[in-house]
Amino acid sequence: MLFRKSVTEPIRYGYAVGRVRVLEGRMLSGGTYERLLDAPTFGEQKRVLSDSPYGRFLEEAETVEGIERGLGLALDELYGFLVTANLPSPVIRFFRVRYDYANLEARLKAELLGVPVEDLLVGLGTVPIEVVKGSAAQLPKFLRDIYMSLSAEDCAVSEEQITGVVDHALFEDLNTAAKSSKSRFLTGLAALMVDLANVKALLRARSKNWRAPDAEALLLDGGNTPLAELMKLYPVPITEIAELLSKRGPLKGVPADRIADLGNYDVLADDLIVRYLKRARMVAAGPEPVIGYVMARQAEVMMLRMLLIGRLSGVPTEVLRRRLRERYE
Amino acid sequence: MNEVFWGMSGMTWALMGAGFAVIGGGIGSAIGITTISNTASGIVTEDSEKFGRVLPLAAMPGTQGIYGLITAILVLQFFEILLQETAPTIPGELGFKIFLSCLPVAVLCLVTAIYQGMTAVGAAGMIARRSEDSGKALIFPALVETYAVFSLIATILMLFSLRNMYMG
Repeated sequence: MLFRKSVTEPIRYGYAVGRVRVLEGRMLSGGTYERLLDAPTFGEQKRVLSDSPYGRFLEEAETVEGIERGLGLALDELYGFLVTANLPSPVIRFFRVRYDYANLEARLKAELLGVPVEDLLVGLGTVPIEVVKGSAAQLPKFLRDIYMSLSAEDCAVSEEQITGVVDHALFEDLNTAAKSSKSRFLTGLAALMVDLANVKALLRARSKNWRAPDAEALLLDGGNTPLAELMKLYPVPITEIAELLSKRGPLKGVPADRIADLGNYDVLADDLIVRYLKRARMVAAGPEPVIGYVMARQAEVMMLRMLLIGRLSGVPTEVLRRRLRERYE
Repeated sequence: MNEVFWGMSGMTWALMGAGFAVIGGGIGSAIGITTISNTASGIVTEDSEKFGRVLPLAAMPGTQGIYGLITAILVLQFFEILLQETAPTIPGELGFKIFLSCLPVAVLCLVTAIYQGMTAVGAAGMIARRSEDSGKALIFPALVETYAVFSLIATILMLFSLRNMYMG
């Protein structure tokens, strides 16, 4: 069985892995990020990126919307690569389905606040934007169930509740997709994402002094750390929680003060995910290098968006530098 | 001497050995080449200048198929089967020994070609990242080749000895 897998996987994924090995070399280097940070204007940043894979997507961009559109197209091309890479459909779903949930969340919040939803939707999911903003009956079941439960007339929901319900459904879906893909790497990645999201939810709830049952309701299933173990930490002060988390689980070895810094927790979580993804580079052939590359490119687009929009909005260079994530190299 | 051994004639055993050598080496080479060629195609799709550097890697698992063919030709030649008008008489025991002599190539070439293809995939990754490492990248799959060569040497020595013992 193991021998069969070791023979068939390089054949099945060989072409995609070959492409990924070259494409990895075209990812933005540390030097490029430095030049982007040092560039005084958005125009100068565009010049820095002109020879990169993003150059052609950002040629016309002059505004935040233009940047979003250009980077959206770059991601779309990346997901197109996923399809040609012959990856199993659960793996493709793993990458795209988050945009479906993000679109649904945007629609629900827009309806709650009474604002137009059009500008908030992104066309990178598995469900077309027209369907997401159309009638509820047209929504696919996995979105319709959430929509119905949250938009019932007798149900008064807050923005926070919408985020909570959508996040629960998203992570459940990601876990299911990872398990159906039969990729241990992807299953591990989904579990890590759940663990990191749970720690974030726990720390946030603790910082707001929520009651333990309310905090527990935020936690997601499917992680490697049992929820009961996390909840045992809840009564102690946040600095002690961070201290204890730095000795076990996915945050083992991370300085406690970094864990307790909620403002920068997302940067830490992304760094830990990139560290996990780097293991994929050690696999000669299989789905792992392709998954690792696609995740790394997603993170690259996210960093680029932050740097470009940040510069356009006049965010100081030092603030942008602090928000930079570890790179996949 | 008895012409039949375990229910099969010496000629049948000998041809089966030769056939197994070709089949084992051939299957291994086909799988090995497919494995590395897929990756090489991916690399060349993104960077066509690397074609020349990944080609030797793609060709490397093909040698095991050649070793299988060499073994078959030696069996046919040594035991006077090749281009004969009448079927030569090969004792059953000799035929079985010829069959056993072919096994190192049949089995080892099958396995080494597959593993060489897998090793070459890793080596191709090295070339994709740094073209200047193509020389180093060739060495790792070549190490796997050593054992295919050993199997060929063992098979040739055994066949040679059998010919001297039985055919004068």
